[in-house]
Amino acid sequence: MALLEIHGLNKAFGGLQAVRDCSFHVEEGSITALIGPNGAGKTTAFNLISGVLRADSGRVIFRGEQIQHLPPHQITRRGMSRTFQISRNLEDLTVLENMIVQSPVHGWRGLLRRSMSAEERDRAMELLEFVGIAKLAHAETRDLSYGQKKLLDFASLLMSSPKLILLDEPAGGVNPALLESIMERITELNEQRGITFLIVEHNMELVMRISHSVVVMAYGSVIAQDAPDIVQNDPRVLQAYLGEVTL
Amino acid sequence: MATADVSVTDNRDTTTSSGYKSRKYILGVIVAALALVPVLQWQTTNNLNFWLNLLIIIFLWITMSTSWNIIGGYAGYISLGHNVFAAIGGYLAAMLLLRLDIPVFVTAPFAGLVAMVVGFVIGLITLRVRGPAFIISTIALVLVLRTIIDNWDFLGGVRGLTLPLIGLDVQLVKIPFYYAMLLVALLSIYFSYWIRHSKFGLGLRAISQDEIKAETAGIPTKMYKVLAYAASAFFIGVAGALWSQYVTFVDPGTYLIILFGARPVLMTLLGGKGTVAGPVVGAALVILATEFSESQFGGTELNVIGVGVVMIIVLLFFPDGLVGSLRRAGRLPALLDWD
Ligand SMILES: Nc1ncnc2c1ncn2[C@@H]1O[C@H](COP(=O)(O)OP(=O)(O)OP(=O)(O)O)[C@@H](O)[C@H]1O
Ligand SMILES: [Mg+2]
Repeated sequence: MALLEIHGLNKAFGGLQAVRDCSFHVEEGSITALIGPNGAGKTTAFNLISGVLRADSGRVIFRGEQIQHLPPHQITRRGMSRTFQISRNLEDLTVLENMIVQSPVHGWRGLLRRSMSAEERDRAMELLEFVGIAKLAHAETRDLSYGQKKLLDFASLLMSSPKLILLDEPAGGVNPALLESIMERITELNEQRGITFLIVEHNMELVMRISHSVVVMAYGSVIAQDAPDIVQNDPRVLQAYLGEVTL
Repeated sequence: MATADVSVTDNRDTTTSSGYKSRKYILGVIVAALALVPVLQWQTTNNLNFWLNLLIIIFLWITMSTSWNIIGGYAGYISLGHNVFAAIGGYLAAMLLLRLDIPVFVTAPFAGLVAMVVGFVIGLITLRVRGPAFIISTIALVLVLRTIIDNWDFLGGVRGLTLPLIGLDVQLVKIPFYYAMLLVALLSIYFSYWIRHSKFGLGLRAISQDEIKAETAGIPTKMYKVLAYAASAFFIGVAGALWSQYVTFVDPGTYLIILFGARPVLMTLLGGKGTVAGPVVGAALVILATEFSESQFGGTELNVIGVGVVMIIVLLFFPDGLVGSLRRAGRLPALLDWD
């Protein structure tokens, strides 16, 4: 069953059609990769799906419900969390506070509670442990390295126990060892907790290794969606990438 | 399962140091001392009204700055027009006193509520924009209200309204205002402290740094901002109401000038925007500095220049305000670390 369905999404920036009649789906329990050359519209698609941008037209269906008109916080509440291509941590907050911010608040009473329950704190520490930055819990986020920020991004999403996680280049610019560890975490969460992933990633070797399904975008449109080994040999896909190379 | 709620920042190692343990008692002693000041009025032949007046002014500005800090500091939305809430409180209390003879001490909480409701409605409109557009909208608010009141004879127009003194002799007349304003200042500080350590406060701090990130983290940013704006209006409305009868008049020329709106901003920047103690420290320092320079230079423009120069110097050396910069340098005394 599809956890997320995208139907005919369109988004233009002035005269530039960044996303054009874009349709694809993400199966529940899968790791789906979203690939395509630079400027293909992947990040824009993420912004439309997560509510950060409003689509010009088209539908986004998450867990059977249309969400394209909802503000981001309501989409997050429904169980979808995302990272940004360039980390957007709250730099003036501590690492632990960045984790707690992602923890859902329940109603008016929840709003007025002290900022962190002991349970939340334990959970945050556990997740920081999971990605290996627990000792930085009380550090200011601004002081983290690039890779550590990526790890924090990733760990903090898990605070809200999402069903679907959207990762925009989780391995972009991180060293190979860290990349390997991020990918291990993703597979672990997918297999053990049944979390579904939609991942934008340029590293093909990696994409082919961990994903169950690959969506290929070029010039704002989806040109293919299939299993990795099939997509890999699809002439249209090769052309989209080669076309870019010859540019 | 019983789990203790704790504040995120309560977990610093420093919390266990002795400074933090004795902090509660020292603050308690300070509050007790302030509460006892008027008692000296009977113990001494000297009239303490000068000191009472000075403290009342400090309490007023602590309330203004501390409340402003909720939207301006925590949420990062700079309002230059929070004096409209003082005006709303002041005029409301004045009218209720003049027409229905209800004392301001009774109407003050009600004035706060009205200011808060008005704040909520205004927030719904003006918080659609941010940055310079928001700042300008807050100035526009002052100008609009000023124009309305200037031309509304029912509210006394430009001349304003004159209120009766409360019926106490000169030795005692300041004392009820002293206690009321002290209480309002303490409550506003506690309110600010409570917000700072709540989920709501953490959300506001997230908003001040990156609104889109805050939204995708699941925070309804629009609602948080409007609530913060309304919350920041409450105690300002209360203080405005008390102030009206304390000085026995309300008029557009005192309540609705840009300087009044800018003052809590300057005080909070000086003390430390977004910290609990910053606005308190900033308000006290600015009032004391003004008082000192008035006593030195008389009531001339030199005061304004003097205070301005002091502010510039302080902000050059403490760009995050006194409390903020000391914290960053790891030198903030435990006594002032309320975050
Ligand atoms: N806010 C914006 N305003 C104007 N143009 C935009 C905006 N965001 C994206 N674009 C344009 O839309 C197109 C698609 O951009 P997008 O960021 O979605 O690509 P991408 O597939 O994520 O690329 P990359 O792999 O480099 O991250 C690009 O041409 C980009 O310049
Ligand atoms: Mg991108």
